[in-house]
Amino acid sequence: MADAKVKKECDPADAAVIESRIKELCIQFPQGITDQVIQNDMPQLEPTQRAMVINKLLSVGQLDLLRNSSGLLYRMKDAQSASKMKGSDNQEKLVYQIIEDAGNKGIWTRDMRFKSNLPLTEVNKILKNLESKKLIKAVKSVAASKKKVYMLYNVQPDRSVTGGAWYSDQDFESEFVEVLNQQCFKFLQSKAEVARDSKQSPMIQRNSSFATSHEVWKYICELGISKVDLSMEDIETILNTLIYDGKVEMTIIAAKEGTVGSVDGQMKLFRGVNPIIQPTGLVKTPCGLCPVFDECHEGGEISPSRCIYMTEWLNF
Amino acid sequence: MTAQEARLCGLLLREHFGEVVEKIGTHLLRSGAQNLRTIVNESGTPIDLVKKSLCVLMKHGACRFSIGRKGPGSPVEYQASCERILGILRYPRYIYTAKTLYSDTGELIIEELLQRGHMTMSSIVKMVADRLTHNMEEGRSIEYNEVVSTFSKLVETHFLQRCPPVSEVVPPVSTAPTVPGAPAAPVSTGPPTPESFSDCYLVPSVSLAGRGKRRRSGEDAVLDQGTTKKAKTDLQTHGDEGIYWQVNFERFHLHFRDQTIISAVASKLDQTSSEIVRTMLRMSEVTTTPSASCTQALSANEVFRSLPANYSISRPVLDQYLTLLVDDPMEFVGKTGDSGGGMYVVNLHKALTNLARATLESVVQEKFGSRSARIFRLLLRKRHLEQKQVEDFAMIPAKEAKDMLYTLMSENLVLLQELPKTPDHAPSRTFYLYTVNQLATARMLLQHCYKTVANLIDRRLFQTKESKRLLEKSQRIEAIMASLQASGAEPEQLTEVEEMISTPEKQQLESLRHHINKLDSAENQVDETIFLLKSYVASTARITR
Repeated sequence: MADAKVKKECDPADAAVIESRIKELCIQFPQGITDQVIQNDMPQLEPTQRAMVINKLLSVGQLDLLRNSSGLLYRMKDAQSASKMKGSDNQEKLVYQIIEDAGNKGIWTRDMRFKSNLPLTEVNKILKNLESKKLIKAVKSVAASKKKVYMLYNVQPDRSVTGGAWYSDQDFESEFVEVLNQQCFKFLQSKAEVARDSKQSPMIQRNSSFATSHEVWKYICELGISKVDLSMEDIETILNTLIYDGKVEMTIIAAKEGTVGSVDGQMKLFRGVNPIIQPTGLVKTPCGLCPVFDECHEGGEISPSRCIYMTEWLNF
Repeated sequence: MTAQEARLCGLLLREHFGEVVEKIGTHLLRSGAQNLRTIVNESGTPIDLVKKSLCVLMKHGACRFSIGRKGPGSPVEYQASCERILGILRYPRYIYTAKTLYSDTGELIIEELLQRGHMTMSSIVKMVADRLTHNMEEGRSIEYNEVVSTFSKLVETHFLQRCPPVSEVVPPVSTAPTVPGAPAAPVSTGPPTPESFSDCYLVPSVSLAGRGKRRRSGEDAVLDQGTTKKAKTDLQTHGDEGIYWQVNFERFHLHFRDQTIISAVASKLDQTSSEIVRTMLRMSEVTTTPSASCTQALSANEVFRSLPANYSISRPVLDQYLTLLVDDPMEFVGKTGDSGGGMYVVNLHKALTNLARATLESVVQEKFGSRSARIFRLLLRKRHLEQKQVEDFAMIPAKEAKDMLYTLMSENLVLLQELPKTPDHAPSRTFYLYTVNQLATARMLLQHCYKTVANLIDRRLFQTKESKRLLEKSQRIEAIMASLQASGAEPEQLTEVEEMISTPEKQQLESLRHHINKLDSAENQVDETIFLLKSYVASTARITR
């Protein structure tokens, strides 16, 4: 009889009071409340009742269920996202949450399956649904062209996915890099020429032919040939390719912290240089450039006496 | 000695000395040291021809003899020197250098010596004087003393040296040909270098008085025979019998190396820096051993005093130039101390390494394009890189970068280094790193150069053979013309003879001459590459020994 009486006491009015009390508690503790907190506040509340109320709040979408090291946490969900999820069911909510957690790197469908434990077909359906609602978007990864990662609609994809300034739509922009390459080289070369013509003492000549990476960056920005904003590191990668082309050399000098363009107390200086030798003698002959050099021997099908490359070269 | 080198040596010997010498020479190169009987039996040539060929080779320094390996009683063994024979390729460069340094007289001296191998000073002087007089106008002739002075200058700067006197190794009964001028000397165990003798660069005092004789065209035939006979049985002694001179190739090679370094400095920095480096190299010519990796230390004061007079730069400016040279990434010049205003050395080994590296890069650039060259330079700088890193650093799209790397690998310019993560070397768990080995690549390119030169010579001989008939006809016509002109014929006869060659034939002759010249100059250009790569390989071998 006592049991029945206890049960009768949980009527809808009570439930509403308990709900609002829990919601207030949530607002009071924005980082989340545990079962313990609810127990302390309403000691007369039975666990079953508490669970029922919390479940109701969860299903309506006003509470967030989280887990931390000490147990379960309940947190108030903010009104906006609550309205978004109206009409979606639990599975969609789960998927959405996982994508949100992935931040700006996005998550792949296979990883999604592992995390949500949902079958593939379900996952695909949900993803399509969310995409049509414009809550998430698919971004093609630049590393593997067939892979698609999903992230929230308003999140900027991370550099590692899109490849940074040099990629546009997953295509490496070779012409853009080439143009930048040539512009940087021309800038450095003209600076070196001006320095050489100034006929001052050699030390000053050399120092004035140097350009810091910051100067080159400013020059490129002012040229305005780039649609994308380029950072100083981007310009430095371009200047490094010029070094590998053998047209430019680099030195590092110590600079005071705070001078423009210094990174960690150092500044990189670049200078256009001339090559130290002319193209070598071997490449001035047809044999030096011959594609079938290894198959050529006297008396064979390909031989010096009958070489067509030599004939062409001699008649030039 | 590789197959390519052997082929090239054979071609050079055939061109300069004929087929018999080529046969014996290549046989010796291929089989190492052998005694006379073995050579005769294995090559199948009569013994007197073998003896003559060995004489020719020895006179030019391409072959040397030593005690048999079985002990003092065994017959003498002969060994051919591949390097010396390959040096024949470089003769035009030696002659040209002598011309720039010592003008026509020096050029002729070197040319005569290169042609004849070993000669006494008096015979060289007479021959050169005669040649010079022949080229001058009527009524002028050249004094022997002028030639002697140029000769002495060449000896002073060590471009010429005495042939080393050979020890009395064999009893006079043996069939070994004796090298001319062999005074009794203690038996030496190895081949004596010319420089181990103290008189190496001592000019003998000769009594040479007279002027060059001009050859009259009418008495040409008679006089020719006369002069050659005279050369053999020259009764006039000049006091330097038995002292034979040869060209000091090592010295020329040092000179070439210095020239290359100076021109590299000039193109990288500027003219004044190259003049400073030239001064430094000139000052250390005689103090530095040929195999050193850097010159002797020179103080800035000495350099300042020794600068050429027309380069009047002030002392602080000189110091600045030296500092710039030291700071340059190419490291041509290094600073070893601070006494005397700063002690500076020229880093010969580093300079050669950089020049060899530039050569490799230029070959890759010309053969495969500038993007492949970018990858090659990147790998030279960073040593070991993964596929992805190569793409990122070089800023080349992945597909193209892969393609270029595989092409370079198929030519053995780029190597793949595997780094396994697990003991079972599973491909999915291994790092694959691309790398370039500069020394091995330089050696490989050196062999390519030898093959290229052999190809060029082959082609030249082939083209000459094809047009043999035409060349013979033109030679006959020229001979007829010359004799007609000498005997004073009328102009109609001359034109009649000229018309015996038709115009297309003339064009053919012209184009043939053009082709032969082009092939010749190409050989010289490839020889420059050969010299650079060989110096680099030799210098690295010395350093790592």
